[in-house]
Amino acid sequence: MAKYILKRMGYIVIVFFLLSFLLFGIFKMVPGDPARLMVEGQKMSVSPEQYEILYQQARERLGLDKPLPIQYLSWLSNILRGDLGYSSVYRIPVKDLIGPPMRNTIALNVVYYIFLFLIGIPLGIKCAVKKDTLFDTSVQIATMIGISIPFFISALVFIFLFAIVIPIFPISGMVTTGAEYTGVRAFIDYMYHMALPVIVSLTGIGGLIRYVRGSLLDALSMDYVRTARAKGLKEKTVIYKHAFRNALIPITGWIVGSIVAIFGGAVIIETLFSWKGVGKLLIDSLNQHDYTVALSMQMFYILLGLASNLITDLCYCIVDPRIKLN
Amino acid sequence: MLFGKKKEKAKLSVLEEEQMQSPFRTIIKNLLENKLAMGGLIVFVSIFAMCFILPIWFHQNLNYQDPTQKNIGPGFSFLAVPAELKNNAEMIAFGPTFGVGVDKDGYIYEWGKLTDNLKKLPSNMGKVQDIAVGQDHVLALNEEGQLFTWGYNRMQLNKIPQELKGKKVRDIEAGFQVSIVVTDTGKIVFWGNENAVDIYPPKVANEDVKEVKSNIQTGIALTTDGRVIPLAKKETAIDKVPEEIQGKVEKIALTDKSAAAVLKDGTVTVWGNNHEDIFNVPEEVQGHVVDISAGRNHLVVLTDDGKVVSWGGNENNQAKVPGGAANASKIASAYYQNCAIDENGKVTTWGLKGYLLGTDNLGRNMFYRILKGGQMTMTVGFIAVIIQFVIGIFVGGIAGYYGGKVDMLLMRLAEVVGSLPFIPLALILSALIGNKVSDVGRIIMIMIILGVLGWTGIANMVRAQVLAEREKEFVVAAKALGVKERNIIFRHIVPNVMTIIIVSATISFATCMLTESGLSFLGFGVAEPIPSWGNMLNNCRASEVISQYWWRWVFPSISLGLCTVSINLFGDGLRKAVDPKANER
Repeated sequence: MAKYILKRMGYIVIVFFLLSFLLFGIFKMVPGDPARLMVEGQKMSVSPEQYEILYQQARERLGLDKPLPIQYLSWLSNILRGDLGYSSVYRIPVKDLIGPPMRNTIALNVVYYIFLFLIGIPLGIKCAVKKDTLFDTSVQIATMIGISIPFFISALVFIFLFAIVIPIFPISGMVTTGAEYTGVRAFIDYMYHMALPVIVSLTGIGGLIRYVRGSLLDALSMDYVRTARAKGLKEKTVIYKHAFRNALIPITGWIVGSIVAIFGGAVIIETLFSWKGVGKLLIDSLNQHDYTVALSMQMFYILLGLASNLITDLCYCIVDPRIKLN
Repeated sequence: MLFGKKKEKAKLSVLEEEQMQSPFRTIIKNLLENKLAMGGLIVFVSIFAMCFILPIWFHQNLNYQDPTQKNIGPGFSFLAVPAELKNNAEMIAFGPTFGVGVDKDGYIYEWGKLTDNLKKLPSNMGKVQDIAVGQDHVLALNEEGQLFTWGYNRMQLNKIPQELKGKKVRDIEAGFQVSIVVTDTGKIVFWGNENAVDIYPPKVANEDVKEVKSNIQTGIALTTDGRVIPLAKKETAIDKVPEEIQGKVEKIALTDKSAAAVLKDGTVTVWGNNHEDIFNVPEEVQGHVVDISAGRNHLVVLTDDGKVVSWGGNENNQAKVPGGAANASKIASAYYQNCAIDENGKVTTWGLKGYLLGTDNLGRNMFYRILKGGQMTMTVGFIAVIIQFVIGIFVGGIAGYYGGKVDMLLMRLAEVVGSLPFIPLALILSALIGNKVSDVGRIIMIMIILGVLGWTGIANMVRAQVLAEREKEFVVAAKALGVKERNIIFRHIVPNVMTIIIVSATISFATCMLTESGLSFLGFGVAEPIPSWGNMLNNCRASEVISQYWWRWVFPSISLGLCTVSINLFGDGLRKAVDPKANER
């Protein structure tokens, strides 16, 4: 087990290096000079010679005067030490920029996943148990439509219905403008603004429902279920004690995968609802050509993807001893 | 059953079925029986056919923009003259999206896409004699010489200037958010948004002006002694009035970039910018013209025998005079609408009736953009799927057939690519590379990004299938015959697993369309002015667009939603048809 984890970790490190190299190269292709951007404001107040000196100093400070491989290595070592660079738009270190969006993203995702599992798993079980009934077929069609319609369309529809026609939810944002709430009232306000993004995200619940339904149907077709039924066990016992426990193995993988996904913001939802999370930070930094932030966010997303893969795999073998690692 | 007992079809088990008919026929039969899948197929094929066939007849320039036609709702009411006015009209004037008419009793009618302010007609207007219509306001003159104005009410446009009190009026004209009045002393009074239209009254301070015409940029004046004077302060294309016509002009008209004059001898002269071949006056009317009117880019003339002839731009059929317009005594045109009125007051209209699905914020026809956007979204999706499949089949085939180290290496690669966060990476690639390439290059780039990042699922599937097939007899036979390994994989094994590959392709196609739309929606995909279903929704995020200009987001959403739902329904049905055993679990 330890050997396997080490192997996978090593593999993650290799992939991470490769991708960081690739991304760094791509970012270096972008036109624009961050050093120039840093000293742009002082251009008017100082003489041209002093400006040139300031510019060279900025280049030195950003390490732009060195050859590319050195730049790459110093950038990488900085990243590994937690120094993510300097945002050219906000003029603060990227490290200090990521905190609040991360909190917002985690808050949104935690609420979303709670509802996702509370609704998705029971519905999936019910569909599997009542396979091919009217209920199952209608849920299947509804989930199909939910999966096929992109978030930005369902968001437009929900905003139109529940924020404009029947104005029960705010259109976007995170706090009521002008209201200086504190304590519990502020929390309620925050949750209130979270409602619509969560509802829209839940239109994609079909994936989980289908997954649970499929896993449970697989388990129900097993011989041990037939045996349990032949023993004369109650149908409830057969489903929940015998079949569902085995169906839980793939479902657990899904749940653990989503625990990692909590840190990654959904770009489209956050942009649409002006939810100041990680996804919106990425989009904003790209739109504002703040490439230091964009690069850090990208590396973060890649790390998240790789970690999620590893943790899901590990989880499978913990819950199911039959799966052998290697 | 209500209609007698349904004939019980002999239901065969899968094994019996396979013995009796070829697997291909089984698939087709299963598919035809699945109503949802067939419905999905029909819907998708009709959307596909519409998007790719209709634009052949219905062609527009994608770079076309028209601020006067922006945000117009769906409908064909621009020329819907009310029945009361139809046979009793005195005069008619058109705005960009609406029309205003006066009947023989001096009563005013309005139709078309009217703003709320336009609907608020002033009371006690008496018998109206003359009307002029601007971008979204109306100016009316009654027989006592009183002026009324309503509609757009900012920039002091709705207030008749004090200096006109008690003065007699010779001519009225309304332009883009401006009103112009010619008094009977030949002076012009001009008010409204003076920055929007370049009209400089001092240019005719010492002249005796007879009438004024304006377009969305500037205006020209005609004096009582038959001379034409451009009113713009800045230099414009219509400044160079031909010297030989000065002193002989009877009537004037103004399109966007050119001006036309009817001389005393009934000939027409056009000058300015020769857009839409507007200088090409039909020979048969020269010498017979009595009146002229102009739209944005076309001219209409009335001859002495009541014939109406038109030429110039015809993209909205505005220069296509219908047969009913013979024996006309008056003509009126503006923007893309025209009408002819005969002596009895019967109205014949032609030109732009409206837009099936409305227009967007730049005045572009939504219907056309949805068709072209569908072409773009489907093409990008299709080519991306092809790229995914070429890579997926190649990698999966090699990995599955050779196994061992090759397999491990390729599958690790697939795993890495698969674990990359798709949207963030696509966003960043599009933002960084997309700036440097042309519009078409950008579209190709989107296809490649979608293809190169999305092949892993297919590779896994092909690998699994090849693993299952490679021990079968036909592969052994091929090996024994000495067939090259490359041919064994791609000529013998892959065709055998093609049905499953196609099922997967259908679903991937829908996913690619969704991803492309998502990227374009965020502004990182297909770039304007080329439409895609995603970028059409890009500027519909503002709440006033969602609530007021609903047609701008509802129609692209319906098209995209319907398309992906129908593909997925079909793909699902196809999967069940290919693998009926999956149904039974």
